[in-house]
Amino acid sequence: MSGIVRLMDVVKDYPLGKVTVHALRKVNLTIDKGEFTVIAGPSGSGKTTLLNLIGCIDVATAGEVLVDGKSTGKLTDKQLTSLRLNSIGFIFQSFNLINVLDIRQNVEFPLLLQGGLSKAERQARVDDVVDKVGLRQFASQRPNELSGGQRQRVAIARALVTRPAIVLADEPTANLDSTTGTQIIDLMKEINHQDHTTFIFSTHDEKVMKRADRVVRILDGMLEAAGLSESRGPSESGGEQVHA
Amino acid sequence: MSATLGVLIQMALRNLVVHRVKTGVVGLIMFFGTFLVVSGTAMLDSIRGSMEKSITSSLSGDIQVYSSEAEDALALFGSMGMSTPDIGEIDEFKPLRETLLEVEGVKAVVPMGIAMATVFGGTEIDRVLSDLRVATRDADAEGTAMRVEQLVQIAERMRKDVAMAAKASSEPEKTQDQLASLDRVLAPGFGADLAADPSGTLDWLDNKVAPIAADGRMLYLRNIGTNLDTFPQTFDRFRLVDGELVPPGQRGILLSKAFYEKQAKNFVARELDKIKKSLDQGKTIAEDAVVSELVARTATQYQRIQFQLSPKDAVIVTERLRTKLGRTDGDLAALLQEFLKMDDANFADRYAWFYQEIAPRVRLYEIPVGEEVTLRSFTKSGYIRAVNVKVYGTFEFSGLETSDLAGANNLVDMMTFRSLYGKMTDDQLDELADIKASSGVKQVSRDNAEDALFGGGGSLEAETTTAGAGFDEFAGLTLGAAATAGALDTTQYTTAQMEDGLALTAAVVLDEGGDVPAAIERIEAAAKAKGLAVQAVGWETASGIVGQIVMVLQVVLYTAIFIIFLVALVIINNTMVMATMERTTEIGTMRAIGAQRPFVIVLFLVETMVLGAIAGGLGAGAGALFITWLNHVGVPAVADALVLLFAGPRLYPVFTSGNLAFGMGSILAISALSTLYPSVLAARVLPVVAMQAKE
Ligand SMILES: Nc1ncnc2c1ncn2[C@@H]1O[C@H](COP(=O)(O)OP(=O)(O)OP(=O)(O)O)[C@@H](O)[C@H]1O
Ligand SMILES: [Mg+2]
Repeated sequence: MSGIVRLMDVVKDYPLGKVTVHALRKVNLTIDKGEFTVIAGPSGSGKTTLLNLIGCIDVATAGEVLVDGKSTGKLTDKQLTSLRLNSIGFIFQSFNLINVLDIRQNVEFPLLLQGGLSKAERQARVDDVVDKVGLRQFASQRPNELSGGQRQRVAIARALVTRPAIVLADEPTANLDSTTGTQIIDLMKEINHQDHTTFIFSTHDEKVMKRADRVVRILDGMLEAAGLSESRGPSESGGEQVHA
Repeated sequence: MSATLGVLIQMALRNLVVHRVKTGVVGLIMFFGTFLVVSGTAMLDSIRGSMEKSITSSLSGDIQVYSSEAEDALALFGSMGMSTPDIGEIDEFKPLRETLLEVEGVKAVVPMGIAMATVFGGTEIDRVLSDLRVATRDADAEGTAMRVEQLVQIAERMRKDVAMAAKASSEPEKTQDQLASLDRVLAPGFGADLAADPSGTLDWLDNKVAPIAADGRMLYLRNIGTNLDTFPQTFDRFRLVDGELVPPGQRGILLSKAFYEKQAKNFVARELDKIKKSLDQGKTIAEDAVVSELVARTATQYQRIQFQLSPKDAVIVTERLRTKLGRTDGDLAALLQEFLKMDDANFADRYAWFYQEIAPRVRLYEIPVGEEVTLRSFTKSGYIRAVNVKVYGTFEFSGLETSDLAGANNLVDMMTFRSLYGKMTDDQLDELADIKASSGVKQVSRDNAEDALFGGGGSLEAETTTAGAGFDEFAGLTLGAAATAGALDTTQYTTAQMEDGLALTAAVVLDEGGDVPAAIERIEAAAKAKGLAVQAVGWETASGIVGQIVMVLQVVLYTAIFIIFLVALVIINNTMVMATMERTTEIGTMRAIGAQRPFVIVLFLVETMVLGAIAGGLGAGAGALFITWLNHVGVPAVADALVLLFAGPRLYPVFTSGNLAFGMGSILAISALSTLYPSVLAARVLPVVAMQAKE
């Protein structure tokens, strides 16, 4: 059984007053290690819901979600949290940095939660990722002193610092202008190439989609039929994606 | 771990800076709370310390031992209640003393008893009547005329009082009768009546007129019976003021100086003292309404001097007052009134003149030092006992001179105490048995037994007054022959005779620095081993009203602390709940990227506790500074009762590390407690909210 992420007949319902919103309906999906995957779909289609399940911050109503070989439905809150801490990096649409901490501290934060590393080791790791995202000279500034693109780079650094198996990003470019957005995607892509970190991110931006190795399309909580909805190929040839 | 804590504290500090308003409000409350706890407990501890000094070294000793059959709690300085508490009896003091002296750490044991007594101070009318008797007997026409004149003046004043009281009287017949009697004195023919039948008229005056004024002329004395030979050494605050100590083996009474000055002194002199005290405190007659009223009232009481002067002295004082006031005429009454009309300019001069010229010529104290006094008391069975003792002197407890509470007790020897208390000795019981046998009376109850023994000449069938009877009845009885005091007892007693026998308590003084609770345990164990039915209590409990004052202070302080902490609790709780809601994205993000619930709880706890530590630390520091400042300047004992608590006119409080630790400990506990709910609320924030966040 391969695949760092596997979803089998996954259903997610949200009770909304008297009605039930079917956010995901029997979704089946396998994502392999090292893939650079885009979840694409219009607003309300279920992208965030899908990422929540993969990111272990929510559990499925039915079906099975396997992350790094663990079935999330069977885990306690504590175990889920620990799985998130150790196996998953998060990049949010609104950056979600801790405003009272400086850049270096924001990036170091997950390492402190993990524990186990010496101060020097943490220092080295933080410097490494901060360099990688090109923010060395901003390391001791606070998030609100930075631009949106810079903040998202910090978020990327924070997501990478624990060397997670999977990095999840929910519309990471939605709050950025298109040039900056492209730069962010390129940065993620580059890291994917270098470290073979698995990236899964959602977007409804066609330009972003073009950079992906693989595009998974979602509509009304259902993935479009494999082969039709999915396209694989090098991002360089993103423009030649088969689409319906 | 420490790195995580470091970041937590850093986050807490920065969050505190970011949320300045919240920090300010909560911090201020924490500051005041801690300030109050530190300075309040330091004050209370200081008061307790000073009180211990004043109480243990003046009256109670470290421990009081009394009967375990006591119905009420021991209250050496008096209790809040009106009735005399039943503290049981120690029938034989000797075995108890011997047992106590064997207990480790006990330095001295002193017997004590409490007995209330009254002294019939006598009214002006009594004095005038007795002078009148002498004058008529000696056929001194001039003296008689002068006393009659005084009598008429007194009767005029009394008539006004009675007429005033009649409006509210529940006994109209009695007041009518009183008015009729006074009217007879005021009638023009009264002088002739007196001349015609001096002894009959004088008896009528004694029986009908004098009692009208009898109310309120009683002095109430609270007496502590003790071994007067050892008391001054054992209680080192004791200081003799006037007169001498009671000679060893003799019976006698030492009056408290405070009682003597405030109760037994001539009314006018007492009022003048009060005015002087007020002026010494910086008040003025012109500006202070209370003082000016005091002056006005004093002037109306001139008769209390006028009627006390002998005819010869009256002439001298009249003459000197004329010179003093620059008058060529005017009678004594008018001159005295003018003299007593005092203002800020002449008060000091008049005060000095009063003590120089007038005081030596009047009875300045109702109970003069060196004279014999008749103490009367209700015994337990309601019978009135009367004992004559010599007033040897007055005393005070150094440092507590102005304290009414410390001065509430007078000291009598144990023999006198036993007489006042009314417990029968074995001899008396034997005597009673003899009376019973010889008289052939059917039954001598315990109630009328005393009557048989002490009721000078009264028959066995004599009515017995019931316990707790009103004072009117008492006053009436004192005029009759029911309680006669007998001659002054000048027998030389041995220490054993004085000490052994009935006592109510034993005051135990421990060696320097003795541990009171431990000693109480040892004492109770030793007493139990000897089969003595006694209980031991510490000075604080034994002191009664004073201990209660400290308890009240304690309750007030802790209530204030409780309230301010409750307010702090609610406010911190509310602001932290609001902070939690404002910070859900941040919390959700932390949870999403891998923070466990306890981390979130600790994050919030640390935040309030860091604030608690800072604001509390500042508050504790301010409290310590405040106490240091008070220590420098001293807290004045503004009320007399405070003198006892402060062990002197000023309290110089100190703080201890214990006060600081208690202050810090409680503010940190409050911080933790108040953040518990908000932090649990925060821990419940779901990680998904991180995904829903919008810029
Ligand atoms: N907590 C929730 N309670 C009720 N319904 C929800 C909840 N979260 C999402 N939904 C519903 O589930 C469906 C999928 O929502 P989801 O947020 O996954 O869509 P999305 O593709 O991320 O959309 P968008 O592009 O607007 O972010 C939507 O119809 C949405 O209204
Ligand atoms: Mg979404």
